[in-house]
Formats: sequence, structure tokens, C-alpha cells
Amino acid sequence: MSKRITLILVIIIVLLTGLLPLLVMFASSIMVDGHFSLAFYQGLLASGREWTLMGHSLALSLLTALLSTIIGVPLGILFIKTDLPLRRLFTVLFTIPLLLPPYISAISWFDLLGREGLLAQLMGHTVAYTTSSWFFGLSGCVLVLFSTFLPVVILLTMTYLKTINPRLEEAGMLVSNWPLVLKEITVPVILPGVLLAAMLVFLLTLGEYGVPSFLRYDVFPVESFIQFSAFYNFGAATAAAVPLIVITFFVLIAERLFLRDKTYQIRTVSGSEQALNIGLGNARNWLMAMVGLLCISIVVIPLLVLVFQSFSVAAYKEALSRAGGSLLRSVSYAVIGASMLSVLGFFLAYLIHTRAFRFWRAVDSLTVFLFALSGTVIGIGLIDLWNRPLTNFIYATPAIIILGYLARYTVLTSRITIATLAQIPPSMEEAAQIAGAGWFQRLSLIVAPLAMRGLFAAWLVAYIFCLRDMGITMLVYPPGYDTFPVRIFTLMANGSTELIAALCVILIIATLLPLGIAGMVLKLKEHN
Amino acid sequence: MKFIEFKNVSKHYSGQSVVRDFSLEIDTGERIVILGPSGCGKTTVLRLLAGFIAPDSGQIIIGGQQVASEGKIIIEPKARNLGMVFQDLALWPHLTVKGNLAFGLKAKGVPEKDREQRIVEILRLMQMEAFIDSRPAELSGGQQQRVALARALILQPDVLLMDEPLSSLDLELNIRLRKEILKLQQSIGFVLLYVTHDREEALEIGSRIVVMKAGKIVQTASVEEIKDYFRKLTLNY
Repeated sequence: MSKRITLILVIIIVLLTGLLPLLVMFASSIMVDGHFSLAFYQGLLASGREWTLMGHSLALSLLTALLSTIIGVPLGILFIKTDLPLRRLFTVLFTIPLLLPPYISAISWFDLLGREGLLAQLMGHTVAYTTSSWFFGLSGCVLVLFSTFLPVVILLTMTYLKTINPRLEEAGMLVSNWPLVLKEITVPVILPGVLLAAMLVFLLTLGEYGVPSFLRYDVFPVESFIQFSAFYNFGAATAAAVPLIVITFFVLIAERLFLRDKTYQIRTVSGSEQALNIGLGNARNWLMAMVGLLCISIVVIPLLVLVFQSFSVAAYKEALSRAGGSLLRSVSYAVIGASMLSVLGFFLAYLIHTRAFRFWRAVDSLTVFLFALSGTVIGIGLIDLWNRPLTNFIYATPAIIILGYLARYTVLTSRITIATLAQIPPSMEEAAQIAGAGWFQRLSLIVAPLAMRGLFAAWLVAYIFCLRDMGITMLVYPPGYDTFPVRIFTLMANGSTELIAALCVILIIATLLPLGIAGMVLKLKEHN
Repeated sequence: MKFIEFKNVSKHYSGQSVVRDFSLEIDTGERIVILGPSGCGKTTVLRLLAGFIAPDSGQIIIGGQQVASEGKIIIEPKARNLGMVFQDLALWPHLTVKGNLAFGLKAKGVPEKDREQRIVEILRLMQMEAFIDSRPAELSGGQQQRVALARALILQPDVLLMDEPLSSLDLELNIRLRKEILKLQQSIGFVLLYVTHDREEALEIGSRIVVMKAGKIVQTASVEEIKDYFRKLTLNY
């Protein structure tokens, strides 16, 4: 099979899994009994509910993005450019909430602030009533999603800081000091990256279903889900999903128009040209205390509360007996999904990196769009497309879940692989070509082995996102094939606090274990 | 008169010796060219003098004042009154030519009116007045080079450090700019410490040439003496 045919097949897979469900969904929302009709949209607009949902969705997304950016950028700078003690540990700790389904964080906060939570036990019910009523609604959603998506801003800020030319700062340091260099040079140079991070947090919050649903705050994804699962009103569910598609589309267009070309001097920095470090001097210890306090408040305490609440063998026994099957299924689906995503991402990355087709940018943008879109929207689209007698072999089996993963998470593996391919000189593949190797031989014997580390990282990231997925899985899982996050969510209605906490801890272990093993293997390899 | 002194300076990176027992004295108004192959430690010498890194051992003295010693930076880069032109120029891409030149003046607290005047003056000297509002990406290689030079000179430094500044330019432009740098140095009188791996460039710009190899000074000599050295090397080869 030639290079061209393979890459066209890859594009077809992306279109079939991602774009086609959305188009079919949109088409069915404007057709009533075989005729064109805007009845669903008119109904939604007439009810006035659309505007409430719009207000809620935008308020939640904007506040979360703003708070994450204001706190995340200084943290990113502190972790990568200064001699702050424990900065590596802080980076790892702040990243943990991103690796878990956001509603797990909501549960842990609920166990702390809820009416029957730890705070109620410690400080009495009057305080707990106040915190609980504060927690349910916009403020609680912002708190949980801020702690979940804060690492997006921290990690992207760190990435951009790592890639700016160190000489730009050195030129400033010759005549000035760090505060002015940061204000006038460093931050303006990474500003497009910071805005990109803020935009990503905005879109991820906009598409979030689990947390607003748990904390009873009506936003578009919740409305879509309710219309679909409670009333089975497909048209209304789609009509509620369309604003999400439109907002996501326009935000990404704005990013393309205003940010893409303003990203200055993004380059890899070799070991010999390390950037200058900021000595914090006397401020070192109190800054560490402040960062530590934030980390303990938004990461450590909620996780410890979960562990504390689950502290009973009986709870873990019950958890495994009631959700053991779901756990096994989740891990299997995540392994299969991550493996398929890695292969798809590799070919897609090759296509984008080598600009194999003129429309490479459109394919890349489509994958970004699908990732930024709400999982609920993709879920509804998948059902609309595959729920037919002819395609029941997909719709009624776990294949539909895997298709959902492929639709939403391809961008993760493709982007990581692109970054890896960019570090391989083109001459490597060209030398193999001159030696007579065919395209598949070049890929399998030269490019893939050289990109192995990046492919492994891509697989890990894909595994985590597949395992934590709920937006898509919640809607599309066939009866008897639910995943672990879905089982936790459904058990929350009648399960005890201990049981739910135990389930959450098991999910955290299932997510973090492969990361820990991978980290140890890498360390061992480096040591050897 | 002695203005800069390196006294037995050494620097290691990841256990590898980059500069070894480097000792050099530079007089006021001198034009020193450090010549050597890639990776011989010549850029590290500039970075040590600029104050971006501290020597692991040895001392660095500027204008009679110890600025770095035994793993410590005693005087920060901004207080050393140095200008520097980097190999990749490091012009700030988000600022205009004016913004690039104004940064240092602002940092030093020069009033806005004087800033404007000094920017116009230096741009006139570089024949770049027309590009005051351009961004670096809108300039040609030679124009960027002049802006980098203007930025380094606008604060009237005692020492100008140049790290292979002409290496990315075509030969014709390279030769023209060499002449301009020489002219500027002779009219302003700053100490020039110029790093290159190009023998011809070194011989044209330097009044004294320091040849480095594997982190050490192999030879220090005047231009005439060094020409003789290379002649012998060629004959031996």
C-alpha cells in the first residue's frame, strides 16, 4: 500500500469518526419528519432557556479561564525560571487533577465541603451549610474546574518559556533586572502561548458535563445530556449542542487569525544554551510557602479527604465487587483506544509534519476542533450516525466507545508525535530512501524507532484521557459495557460516601500507576 | 592602561571543562578577537565577562573592580556597563526598532525626551532612521545587524562584546559591516571583544588575537605575529 493511499485512509478515518457524526447530527436537527424545519431551535429560543444556558456557560468558562491564567502563568514562571525549592514536586502535584475525570475532584471537594462532609464533622453543621450552599452552583464549578485545568496553563507556560531564545532575556539582563525583563520581554514573547492556554481552558470548561451536572449548574452540555437521556428528544439535544459547536468554531478561528502568526521564535533549546535562572533570594522561602499552601488547598487536601473517607476494607471490597468488571473494561478500552490513537496519531503527524497534502492544515484544525468540542456533542453525533440496524455491530458493542476516543483524542497523539518528528532531521529518512527503502520500511525501520520516546509519551497521554473520559462514554456505552468513571457516576446516586471515595481512589491508582511505572522505567534506563 | 583582567578562570558544564585556566589582560581601547573552532569555549568567555555565568575558579576584573570570583557573581550584568551583539542578534521580536533601543534607556531611567534624541542619533549613525517603527522581522539581515549594534551601543558601554555577529551574513555584507564596526570602534573608543572562527575576519578586526583550543589559550599575539603563526601552520601542514 503506497504512502498516498495510507495517508488518505487516515484522513478518511478522521472524517468518519469525527466530522461525519457532527454533520449527521446537524442535519437531523434541521429535519422534522423528512422536511426542513427549525422547530427545535425556535422552541429553544422561545423558551428563553437558551439565553440562561448561554449566560451560565460563558460565565463558567470565562471565570475558570481567567482564574487559571492569573494563577497559572506566575506558577509556570516560578517552576521553570527560578530556584524555588520543591518546584518539580509542585509541578507533578498540580498536574494530578488534570489526569483525573473532573467530577472526581468535585466528589472530593464535596466530601470536604458538603453537608455531611469532613468540614461538617470538624466545624459543625452551620458552617457546612454555608460552604455547601456556596459549593453548589457557579462558585463550586469554578473552584473544581480551576483546580482541574490550572495545570494546562502551568504546563503550556513552562513549555513556551523553555522554547524562547535565552539570548532575548540575556540582552535585557545586560541593562536591566529580572522584574523588567519578565514584564517587557519574557511575558510579551510568550503571550500568544498564554492566550492559547487560556483559550484551551475556556473551551474545555465550556464542554464539561460531569462537574456542572454534579453541582447542579445548568450549562449547554448538561442541557444536551438531559434532553437526550431523560426525554430522548434528539432534536432538542442537538439544538442545545449547536451553540457549543459554534462558539468552539469561532474561538478556534480567532486563535488561527490572531495568535498563530504571533508565536515568536519557538525553538528547541540545546543543553549547552540553558536559559538564565532567576535567583529568588530572600523571597525563596515565603514564595515556597505560598505555592505550598495553594497546592495543599486545591490538590492535596481534596485527595487526602477521598483517601480518608475510603479508609475501610469493606468499602474497597464492595467497590471491587460492584465495579470490578467496569474497571477491567475501562482499562482494556483505554489500552485499545490509546494503541489505536497512537497509530492514527503517528500517520496523521507524518502527514502534517511533512505537509503531504495541501490541505494538511485543515486536517490538523479539524482534530483540534474535535478535541475542544464537548464530549456530549460528539457522543450525540456518534449515536445519530451509528444507531441504525445496518451498523448495530458498532453501535451495540464497545466499538462505539473506541470510535468516540478516536474522534476526540487524535489531536493529543498527533501533536505529541509532530513535536517528536520535528526533532528528527529529514536527512535520516532521505538517507534510507536513497539506500532503496520503501515508505513503510523507512517508517518502521527509521522514523518510528527514532520517534519511539515520543510515541510512548503519546500512548500514555492517550491512555489517561481515554480512561478519564466520561462525556462521550456516558452517552454511547452499550448496556453491560459501562466504564469505571461511568459506573462511579451512576453509583453516586445511591452509593455510600465510603464506597464512592473508594471507587475514586481506585480510579486514581489506575490512572497514575502506568505513569509511575513509565517514570521508573525511564529513570532506570537513564541510570543505566 | 589595563581595563579587563581574566585571572586563571575555569568553567565546567556537566563535568566537562569548557574554559581552562584562562588568563588575559585587555587594555583600554583595545580590539581583541578570540579565534578558535566551534566548541573551544570562546562564547563562554564572553558570557563569563557579561556576567551571565560565574567562573568555577579564578577571577574577572573590569575597570579595577572584581566582578566575579570563584563561583560567585559579585557585580550583576547590568552594572558592568557592557554592550553585546549576540550571534543570533536576539532582537526582541515583539518590539519595534525604537522599542528595542528604548528598553535599556528606560531601564536606566533616562527621561523620555532624552531617550528619543539618543535613539534618533544612534539610528542616524547607523543610517537606519527610516526604520524606526519597523519590527525586526520586517528588516533584512544587514539592517537587523545594525539595529543590534545600535542597541548595544546606545548606552555608551565601556566594552562591546560581539559573538560571531557576522557569521550568518553573505560575504559582501560581512566585509562591509566589518569596516563599519572598525570605524565605530575607532571613533567611540570602547574596548571590543570579538569572537569568531573566521581567520580573515579576525585579522581585519582585531588589534590583538587570542587563539583558543579546547578551552585554553593557545596563543596571544598581535595581528602581525598571528599571521606569521598561521603561515607556519600552513607550511607544517
